[in-house]
Amino acid sequence: MIYPFIAVVKKEIGSVLRDRTIVISILIQLFIASFSSGLLLGMLSLYDADTIMRFSGEGIRVGVVGKADDPLASLLTERGLNIQTFPTLIEAQSAFYSGEVLALVDAPQNADGLIEVKLYLPDSDTISSLIRMVIQEPLKQYENYLRAERGIEVRYTDLNGKPATSFEFVYSVLIPMLMFFPAFVAGSMSIDMITEEVENKTLQTLLSAPLTVSGMIGAKITSAVTLAIVQCAVWLTLLQMNGIDIQNKAWILLLALVVAGITSTSASITAAFLQDRERSQFIFSLLLLAGVSIGTMLNLSPITTISRLAVGDAYTSGWHVMVFAAFFSVLYFLLLRTARRLMH
Amino acid sequence: MNQIFVIAWREITRLRKRFGGGASPVAVILLLGVLGVSAYFLRDTVSLGSGLYRVGISGEVPEISDSRFAVLEVDPQEGQSLLADGSIDLLIVGVDVFSREDDKSQFAERALKQYMEKEELVRVGNSFAEGDAFPLRVGVNYLNAAQPPVTDDAGELAPQTVKPEEVIIPSLTPPPAPFTQVLVALLYIMPITFISIFFTSSFMDEKANRRLTILLSAPVTPFQIILGKMLPYAVFALSTTILIAYLTNGNIPMALMIFAPTTMFIFAIYLMVPLFYRSFKDTTFIAMLVTTMTTAYLVFPAMFTNSSDLAYISPLTLAVKMYRAEPFGWREYLLPSLPMTAIFGFAMFAGTRLLNEEFLMGYKPITRKIGDAIYLMMAHSKPWFAVTLWSLLVIPAVYMAQVVMLAFATNLPVGLILGATLIASALIEEVVKTVGIVVLAEHGVVKSVKEILWLSFLSALGFLVGEKLLLLVSVSVVSEANVSGALFGAGVFLLIPLAAHFFFTAFVTLLRVKLRFPYWLALGIGTVIHFFYNVYVLRGGM
Repeated sequence: MIYPFIAVVKKEIGSVLRDRTIVISILIQLFIASFSSGLLLGMLSLYDADTIMRFSGEGIRVGVVGKADDPLASLLTERGLNIQTFPTLIEAQSAFYSGEVLALVDAPQNADGLIEVKLYLPDSDTISSLIRMVIQEPLKQYENYLRAERGIEVRYTDLNGKPATSFEFVYSVLIPMLMFFPAFVAGSMSIDMITEEVENKTLQTLLSAPLTVSGMIGAKITSAVTLAIVQCAVWLTLLQMNGIDIQNKAWILLLALVVAGITSTSASITAAFLQDRERSQFIFSLLLLAGVSIGTMLNLSPITTISRLAVGDAYTSGWHVMVFAAFFSVLYFLLLRTARRLMH
Repeated sequence: MNQIFVIAWREITRLRKRFGGGASPVAVILLLGVLGVSAYFLRDTVSLGSGLYRVGISGEVPEISDSRFAVLEVDPQEGQSLLADGSIDLLIVGVDVFSREDDKSQFAERALKQYMEKEELVRVGNSFAEGDAFPLRVGVNYLNAAQPPVTDDAGELAPQTVKPEEVIIPSLTPPPAPFTQVLVALLYIMPITFISIFFTSSFMDEKANRRLTILLSAPVTPFQIILGKMLPYAVFALSTTILIAYLTNGNIPMALMIFAPTTMFIFAIYLMVPLFYRSFKDTTFIAMLVTTMTTAYLVFPAMFTNSSDLAYISPLTLAVKMYRAEPFGWREYLLPSLPMTAIFGFAMFAGTRLLNEEFLMGYKPITRKIGDAIYLMMAHSKPWFAVTLWSLLVIPAVYMAQVVMLAFATNLPVGLILGATLIASALIEEVVKTVGIVVLAEHGVVKSVKEILWLSFLSALGFLVGEKLLLLVSVSVVSEANVSGALFGAGVFLLIPLAAHFFFTAFVTLLRVKLRFPYWLALGIGTVIHFFYNVYVLRGGM
C-alpha cells in the first residue's frame, strides 16, 4: 500500500522537476516579490513626503511672502524646507521667474472669517506634485494652529513615530505572499494532476495498481504540498539572508504546510465533482477568493496569523496554527467521502 | 469571412454547453454573491499592515477600528509593564500615548498618527461650525516659468497662471497621487485577462481531444480558425470595457481606443500558451507567469503618471489621464499602443504558421519547441528575407521585455540597477538577433561561413532599423528618460552601432554553428562583450 503511494508521489514530483515548470513558478514568485518591492520603492520616493524630504529636502526652495516668524513660515522651516521670505508678492515673483525659488506661498489673508493662502507652483507636473506632497504636513499643522485660535483643540497632534510603509509591506504583504503563493500553485497543480488522469483516461490504469482512489489523490496532494513547502523554506532562508528578521519560523512553515494542504484538498474536491480542468480551475479560483474574504471577515485569516507570527506577536502562538490544521482535517475527511465520484 | 463567423458561432455554442446545465451556474452565482457581499464588508477593513500592531487602551479613548490595530483594554500600570516587555506596541491613556524607542513601537505610533488624524477631523467636523472646523483655504495656482508676468490695468504686475485656480482644504484634500485612478484602470484589465484565460482553455481543450485536428482538415485556413475562435471572446472583452467605462463615468469611445490594443496584446500572449503547452500543469504555470508579467508591465509605469514621461509605455497611464480629464496627444497614444498592436500582428502570424498537427501534438522540451516554432515561421521565405524581417518585427517584444527587466532591477541595490539592466538587455538583444540564424543552421538551411556572415549583417540591419523606428516614436515622448537611450543604444553615428550589432551577432552564431559551442555558452560570451561595449558607450566613449 505504501509503496505505490510513494511511487505516485515520486512520479508527480519528478514530472514537475523534469518539465522545469517549477522554474516558472519560482520565477513568478521572484517576479511578484521584486516587482512589488520595486513599486513600493518607486512610490515612496515619489509620493511619500518623508522620503522626499530625506533625499531632496534641501533642494526644495520655497518663497514665502511675509515675515520669517509668521507661524506658517516657521512651520515650513520646521519641515526642513529651504525658505526665503519676501516683503511683497512682486519681489517673490521675480525670484520665481529668475529661478531662485521653485514655488511661492503668499501671505495668509483674512476673507470673511476664513484664512486664505495662495500657493504658486511651477507648471511642471513632476515638481509641482512633489512640492504638494511635502507642503501638505505644514499646511495641516497651520490649519490646527488656526483651529486652536478659534478655541478648537485637536487631540493626538503630538504623535510622531517612524514611517511604517516598508515594515507593513514586508510583514503584511511580502511574507504572506511568498508563503501562500506556493499553496495557491499547489491547489492548481492538484486539479491539473487529477483532471489530466481523467481526461487522458489513465485513471483506470493507475487504479489497477494496488492503490485506492483516495490513496491516489492523497499521493498527488502530498507531492503538491511537498513542492510548496520546499519553496517556502527556501524563501524564508532568502528573506533571512536579506536581513529581514522573522520570528517563529517553525510555526510559519507548519502554517504554510497546512494552508497548502487546505488549498490542494479543496481543489481536489472541486476536481472530483467537476472532473474537467476548465471548470475546476475556475471554481477553485472563486472558492479561494471567497475563502480569503470570509476568513478575513471572521477575523480568522491565515494572512494575519502569518504576519503576527513573523513579527513575534506576544498573543499569537502555535494554537492559532492548530485551528487551521483542524479545518484541514475536516476538509480531508470530506475529500475521502467524495473521491469515489471519480470512479463513475 | 463567413467561415470566421461559423467558427465563432461554434465557439459560443461550445461555451454554452460547457457551462450550461448541472449545478455549476448556481454554484458560480452563489460564489460570486459571496464574493460581492464579502467585498462590501471588507472595503474599509483591509489595508497594508493588517493585524500588525497591538495597542493597550485605558480611560477615555476614541474607538480604534482599523485592521492594523488589535486593541486590548488594560489598566495604566499593567499597560506600562506590557509595553515594556513588548507585548503591546503602544499604550494610550486618555489623550496621552506612550511608546518604546524600538522600531516596531515607532512604526505603530506613525500608523496611529495617521488614523487619529482622520478620526479627529471627523469629530471636529461634526461638532463645530464648518468655518471654524476648517478655517483654511489654499488656492493652488500654476505659473509658467518661461512666461513672465504682465502689467494689469491697475499698473501692477499680475502673475500669468496657466490653469484656473484650484481651492483646497489641506486636511481634506490629499496630494495628487494616481493610486485610485490606476486601480480603476486596472478594473479594465481584470475581465480581459479572465476572458482570455477562457479563450486559452478552449483552444487547449480542443487540442487535447483532437477536435482541432479535424477542424484543420476542413477547408478553412489556420488564420480563420484563430480569428473565429478569438472573435466571441474579443467582443465580450470589449463589451466589458464599454460597461466599465459606462459605470465609472469614463469616456466610452476613448476607453475603447485605449484598451483595444491592450485587449489585442493580452489575447496575443494567451494565444501562444496553448500552442506551446504540453501538459495541463504547463498551462497553469505559463498562464500565471503571463498574467503576472502583463499586470506588472501595465501597472508599474502607470503609477508614475505625471512624475515621469516613461509612464507612457503603459496604456493605463492614458486611462489615468482620461479620468483626470487631462489631454494627451497622438505620440503619447502611439507609444504604448503601437508595440502592443505589433505584437498582436506578430502573434497572429506565428499562430497561422504553428497551427498544424505535427507541431501541436509533438512532445518536446520547451526550448526545442520554441526552436521549431521559429523555424516554422521562417521556413516559408528566403533566409535573407526571413532573418531581416524577424529582427525587425521582434523589436516591440524586446522593448517590452526590457521594460519588465527594468522593473525587476529596481529591486536590486542602487549601484547594481543599471548594470543588471544592461546585462539583461544585452542578453535579450543577442538572443533575438542570433536565434533565427542558429535555427536555420540547425535545419541545414544555412551552412557556409559566408552565409552566416551575410545573414548576421542582415539581422543586425533589421534590428537597427526597428530600433531606430521605435526610438523615433518614443524619443519625443520620453525626453527625460536617459535609461531608454542607454537601453536602445542611441548612438549618433549609425555605422558604429551597426558594426557592433553585426560583430556580436556573427560572433555568437559562428561560435554556435562552426565551433559547436553550446548555445547558452555562445550567448553568454556574446552578452558579456556586448555589455562592455554598452558600458563604454554610456561612459561617453563614443
